[in-house]
Amino acid sequence: MRTTLAVAALLALMPLGLPPYAMTLLTEALIMGLFAMSLDLMVGYARLISFGHAAAYGLGAYTCGNILLHTDIPLPFAVLLSGLFSGTVSIGVAWVCTQATGVSFSMLTLAFAQLLYAVAFKWTDATGASDGLAGIPRRPGPFGTTFFASKIGFYYLTMACLFGGFLFARALVRSPFGAVLRGIRENEAKTLSLGYNTRLYKIAVVAASYMLGGMAGALYAPFAGFANTELLFWLLSGQVLIMVIVGGTGTLVGPILGAAFFLFVQQQLSIYTDSWALFFGVIFIGFVLFAPQGILGLARRGRPTEQHR
Amino acid sequence: MDVLPFLVTQCLNALSQAALLFFLGCGLTLIFGIMRIVNFAHGAFFMLGAYVGWSAVRLTGNFWLALIAAPLLVGGFGAAFELGILRRLYGRDGHAFLMVTFGLTLVMGEVIRLLWGVEALQVQIPAALSDIVFILDEPFPIYRLFLAGSGIVVGLTIWQFLERTRLGLLIRATSQNAEMVHALGTDVRLVRSAVFGIGCGLAGIGGVLAAPMVTASLGMAPNAVIDTFVIVIIGGMGSFLGSMIGALLVAFVQVFGSYYFPDLAMAFMYLIMLTILVVRPGGLLGKEA
Repeated sequence: MRTTLAVAALLALMPLGLPPYAMTLLTEALIMGLFAMSLDLMVGYARLISFGHAAAYGLGAYTCGNILLHTDIPLPFAVLLSGLFSGTVSIGVAWVCTQATGVSFSMLTLAFAQLLYAVAFKWTDATGASDGLAGIPRRPGPFGTTFFASKIGFYYLTMACLFGGFLFARALVRSPFGAVLRGIRENEAKTLSLGYNTRLYKIAVVAASYMLGGMAGALYAPFAGFANTELLFWLLSGQVLIMVIVGGTGTLVGPILGAAFFLFVQQQLSIYTDSWALFFGVIFIGFVLFAPQGILGLARRGRPTEQHR
Repeated sequence: MDVLPFLVTQCLNALSQAALLFFLGCGLTLIFGIMRIVNFAHGAFFMLGAYVGWSAVRLTGNFWLALIAAPLLVGGFGAAFELGILRRLYGRDGHAFLMVTFGLTLVMGEVIRLLWGVEALQVQIPAALSDIVFILDEPFPIYRLFLAGSGIVVGLTIWQFLERTRLGLLIRATSQNAEMVHALGTDVRLVRSAVFGIGCGLAGIGGVLAAPMVTASLGMAPNAVIDTFVIVIIGGMGSFLGSMIGALLVAFVQVFGSYYFPDLAMAFMYLIMLTILVVRPGGLLGKEA
């Protein structure tokens, strides 16, 4: 808890010292961090390797975009609503996808994300088809404040979402519910035979994951000012999975670091070369081969591991 | 236009499309069936085949040479990747392969962009196949007939290869019980390298054959890999016959769907896949749930 507060304080002080372009990058890193952390709930704690997590992001982004474009609901509430919507939709998704296990589950989630992608391309009224939704505003409020519409204010809103989401996720995985999830991760058959309805647990964790992932997407829409079908594309699903693996699965903090690392490397490499994806692919293969525990695992190597994982 | 000629030409269209999809699907399903590897880079190998084919046609001016050279090169590269990288991952769970091959997709996409540039490259249809025939008075390109035919030929060849040859026997045995095959004195690791190479080589053939129709472009890999997954998931991971059924189903949905319901064709394909998976989680002919 002390570390969390210290990091929060440090991040809260960032706008004092950093130039605007760095703030933009940092805001994006926090949004991506929330997105990657939401996936870690599934991947790291229940071994539900979703290859379609862009679905959560895109759902959140399009929902939030529509709310902001067509209603007067203030920005923070729009973000929360979009997260809830994404989480609710995912109950149906999870019900179908958890029919399968292992790699089939991954493929099913991919299929769902691609289905949404295909729908988004054709449902012009809600998504603007291939043009996407443009000019998404940051509606003022609540109580008439325009704070969250400003660059700094939006950063603090993102920070609040990330930390709120982190505390929520951490409470979740430390609860008895989380213990059952880890049981599913280690040995689902055994957990089932102990009398737990593992499928319900899995559906619940997918819903929680989609809610947080949807919030991340919902933040991205007013951050970038647009939402397009790229946000539902499988490439994003792959990228966020990379962030989680590179950061370290089952740690919640790791994937946030992984997301920051991803964006930082991408930004630095793209200064020198167009082919940043080449280097990123190599780095990623290296991590899977030699450091499956991720950045956080590397940092913890040699030290006694925390048992609560 | 009359109904009958229209239906016939559309069916032939779908068959030629199915042949291309089958080259991709049977390679992926072969690799999965033997090695339990989901090769995310399969679309990238397909794309590599198309680009290598383009270069080979440019160098030699002969499409048929390209059709031989490209799969050999692509398959060789696949086998080398298995030897160098994938081999270190046996014993880890299946997702490690999915992730490594995803990384490989990024790398291959960039390398191809660096080597061949961003422009789509047109491969000429070989002179012998560039004509048009009239089927029930409807014009139809010979090349598409050739595609459909080559799909059938390659499908039969692989089937006979798996059933009749010694390597085919070893491959089938490895898929059933790798340890026993190893204990009986065959180096299973070599069988695995061979299978991965053959699977990638099949994707390479598909790439060369597809190049004259769709041009070699950087968008090939993502489109191909998703379609391939759909096929293999519908048919059942690891089932050879299943991948054929899946390819036919997807091709007919794509061709007829884009004619009758242009807005829904793509969504329809995923809906079919989801429905099948809900009813039979292992796919139509898959063994496992």
